[in-house]
Amino acid sequence: MKISLKSRIVSALAVTALAGTVVVGAPTAANAAPQCATASYVTQCAGVGADGAPYTFIAAANFNGTVFVYSHGVRPAIDIPATLAPVGPYTKTNAAEPGPLAISGDLTVINTLVAAGYGVAGSGFSRQGVNTTEALAANKELIATFKEKFPTTKTVIAWGQSLGGMHTQLLAERNPELVDGVILACPAANPSDALIAYFGDALWGFKALFDPTIKVGGYSTDPATRAAEQYANIGKVLTVLGKLSAGLSSGAWPDTASPAGKALQAAGIPSRSALLTVGLMAGVSTRSKHVDGTSGPTGAAETYPLAVAPAVAVLENMGATLNYGTLLIADGELLAGGKVYDNSKTDYAARVAADADIYSFALSGNSAVAGIIGALAATPRETADAAAVAKIAPLIGLTGKITKPTIIFQAESEEFVPASIVQWYIDGYAQQYAAAKMKAMADAKKSRSYVTPTNNLVVLWAKTAATYSKFTAAGSPDLSATQGAGTGHCNWTAAQWLAAANLMTTTLANGKFPLGGKITTTARKVGFSYDTKFRVPLFKSLQ
Amino acid sequence: MLAIAALTVATVPAQALNPNMGSDPGITASTIKLGITSPLTGIASPGYNKIPGAMKAYFDYVNTNGGVNGRKITLVSKDDQYIPTTAVAKANELILRDKVFALVGTLGTASTKALTASTQLSKRGIPSLFVNTGWSGFADPKAYPTTFSILPSYQMEAKIMAKYVKETYAGKKIALIYQDDDFGRDALAGFKTAGLTFDTYIPYASGSQSLPATGAGWISKLKTAGTEVTVLFGVTSASTAALANAYGAGFKTQWVLGSVGGDATTIAATNKAYVPLLYGAKGFSFAPAPTDTTDEYIKLFQGIYAAAQPTQTFDNNVVAGMSNAFLAVQALKAAGANLTRASLMKVIETKGSTFASPFLTPLGYSATAHIGATGYWVGTYGPTGALTPDGGKYTVYTTDSGTGPVVLSTYTRPAMPAKGL
Repeated sequence: MKISLKSRIVSALAVTALAGTVVVGAPTAANAAPQCATASYVTQCAGVGADGAPYTFIAAANFNGTVFVYSHGVRPAIDIPATLAPVGPYTKTNAAEPGPLAISGDLTVINTLVAAGYGVAGSGFSRQGVNTTEALAANKELIATFKEKFPTTKTVIAWGQSLGGMHTQLLAERNPELVDGVILACPAANPSDALIAYFGDALWGFKALFDPTIKVGGYSTDPATRAAEQYANIGKVLTVLGKLSAGLSSGAWPDTASPAGKALQAAGIPSRSALLTVGLMAGVSTRSKHVDGTSGPTGAAETYPLAVAPAVAVLENMGATLNYGTLLIADGELLAGGKVYDNSKTDYAARVAADADIYSFALSGNSAVAGIIGALAATPRETADAAAVAKIAPLIGLTGKITKPTIIFQAESEEFVPASIVQWYIDGYAQQYAAAKMKAMADAKKSRSYVTPTNNLVVLWAKTAATYSKFTAAGSPDLSATQGAGTGHCNWTAAQWLAAANLMTTTLANGKFPLGGKITTTARKVGFSYDTKFRVPLFKSLQ
Repeated sequence: MLAIAALTVATVPAQALNPNMGSDPGITASTIKLGITSPLTGIASPGYNKIPGAMKAYFDYVNTNGGVNGRKITLVSKDDQYIPTTAVAKANELILRDKVFALVGTLGTASTKALTASTQLSKRGIPSLFVNTGWSGFADPKAYPTTFSILPSYQMEAKIMAKYVKETYAGKKIALIYQDDDFGRDALAGFKTAGLTFDTYIPYASGSQSLPATGAGWISKLKTAGTEVTVLFGVTSASTAALANAYGAGFKTQWVLGSVGGDATTIAATNKAYVPLLYGAKGFSFAPAPTDTTDEYIKLFQGIYAAAQPTQTFDNNVVAGMSNAFLAVQALKAAGANLTRASLMKVIETKGSTFASPFLTPLGYSATAHIGATGYWVGTYGPTGALTPDGGKYTVYTTDSGTGPVVLSTYTRPAMPAKGL
């Protein structure tokens, strides 16, 4: 059944019913039967899983046997006070999310799917932060509970965004028998600890140059102390970001700068060059929501993109990188039982070597880059706890192996979970497919009949436009302007989610993805690009 | 059913088996589509913006003479303003939207490095022919397997400059102004290899030369150091900043300009008033002078260009663009009718050193070196900016990008192919 925003099938009824879903009271006892209510042909159920995770699922009288099981994105494991805006205010919640965008009050995706005869389901998980163990258990249990309530269920499509993308892939890898199709939106993944390195390198660079009291790891085990340490770190990061922003034009350094940073300042190296160097060390995108990297204000149309823009974009992206990096590293340490970030052998000079020419003016030339990299030597490197590192792979490690039809959609210039993750999926699947083709050829030698392996991966890119920056009369990037396409973190529309859902249901119905031209047309209508030859850089630590 | 016996599965690269990989784009039985991104507008555009037009003029000439192995060449040109991030975007457009068969003649070290890395030309097997930069790294097929240089490397140039400076200005106070990136780093390596040290070193970050205070600062340092000879290894906008500020300050020095920064036609395109400031400066080139009508290539190129661009002046940048297109055609011809990206790159490696070319030095292409021209001649700028060879003839020196010596070239350029095709 085609999913359409204009579906006439019980759509009005579904909307009416969903508007009243809050009246369904969830049982307070774990593992109790879900409480369900049916109104206007739409049944919504709420319950609590065996570990206390709240869940919700919805299906209408015209349920067609296919359910979308959603994994929500990351929520911090601790409350965040309003004083740490814009990271806070946030109050920890395990509230269930049955589908994309519901958390922001936009029920378009859910309503459209239910109206079209699909079921939707989602857990809030019993724990927030790095919660892959809890998410896997909750999703497995939720699928079973849904099937029990709706025994005609034949097809399960797992989907999720950000950390929920990791949960979704993990479910498909560990329990492929439960899943028929997979949709990953801006997915998190940590191949060879590259995501930990991404966050850690950015934090460590800030510590080394802009504030030596910034923490990169080594958080306390006592919950209250650990939370206080995270608050303090976020506060310091926000302060440094504010001071770097104020010094973008003048090159002034934060007064919290390390002695090595102050020496660079004395040598005349602007803080923006150091900021950009740290961004390039970690692999932070040099294009951001409001900085395209190629435009400049009137009077500086050529010098601004060369001298300033890359650093401004890194600055805008660093907020998400550093603050969520703080929260996730702290939580990861708690789960792994020790320090998980290690840069004891990282060659930062090599990391930035290829970028030094490209951003030469903004970096103030090779000599400045050499000076900045040299200044890092004054800060001790971080050494991880080997036992803790050994626990990371079982905890959040993915193989990236794709065994079910899978759709990934991703912004080219991500601020939080880099697009490198999707490139890792693409490269891994290319190898996987090559091996399958080899095997098919070997089999064909015996059977005398060659069967081409089925392609199971489609990647839809939200590409970053060439130009989109707007500037204020003072010549600064206008941060109130509409953000550029293909930037930010998981900035998806209902139409994009539904296009992916529609493509997946069509694929499962036909047993294979449509032809490329059809996918291209579908993608283009919602602002995606289907381009099998498009590549983005890998993680710096994997290059 | 497949003919199983014919399968050579063990030799099929994994990438070729990717379900999302297809046959080479940009080529049909009757056409070849090439793409270039270069500065058509912006700070570096004066002079350089003539290169794509010159290339197209030669390609059109080839097309009217039957094309290459029956295929007509089209050239898609994009403007990157000499901004590396823009060059990346434009290269992506060329590859993904225009679906070119190969890039040709991309300009500038930083832009070419940026687009090569970001679009991952190597992994995708996309040829990047005859890049207009002398950074020695591009000649290394291990690091850049699909990229081919056309210019001598900056290390070669610096070594030849060093030999000249040491022999000509022994005992003088010598300064070096250089771009503080891989362009300048290459030069520093060449000067060091050749044993030339400077009394004063003045690095500048690429782009900063456009700031008014930069050039004035250089001249102040040169005056303070009592500099008698100034070697400038930078772009033309750095040359104009240095020459104009020296003139304004009444500072006299013997200028020795690298081939990039000493490009008189580019300087003239920026501001004709700067051209006389070149008078007496020393310069270096590897191609015949554009005014040398005794040279058969120059004569051919002048005729083609006059017909295609009758209102434009024939100059160094036109020679550069047409030489670029000429070499691309030689490579396409040599690759034969069954042209693929892989076969094109292979033939440059195996036969590129024997390609016909307008240059006065040997070509160095091989499986282990993707280097084009390999030497320079020395000349002096006249009052109109024309660089004429010292001693009235091209005395060409050749060397390598390593520790090899600088030697007088014995190379004799083969005769031009019939009709220059």
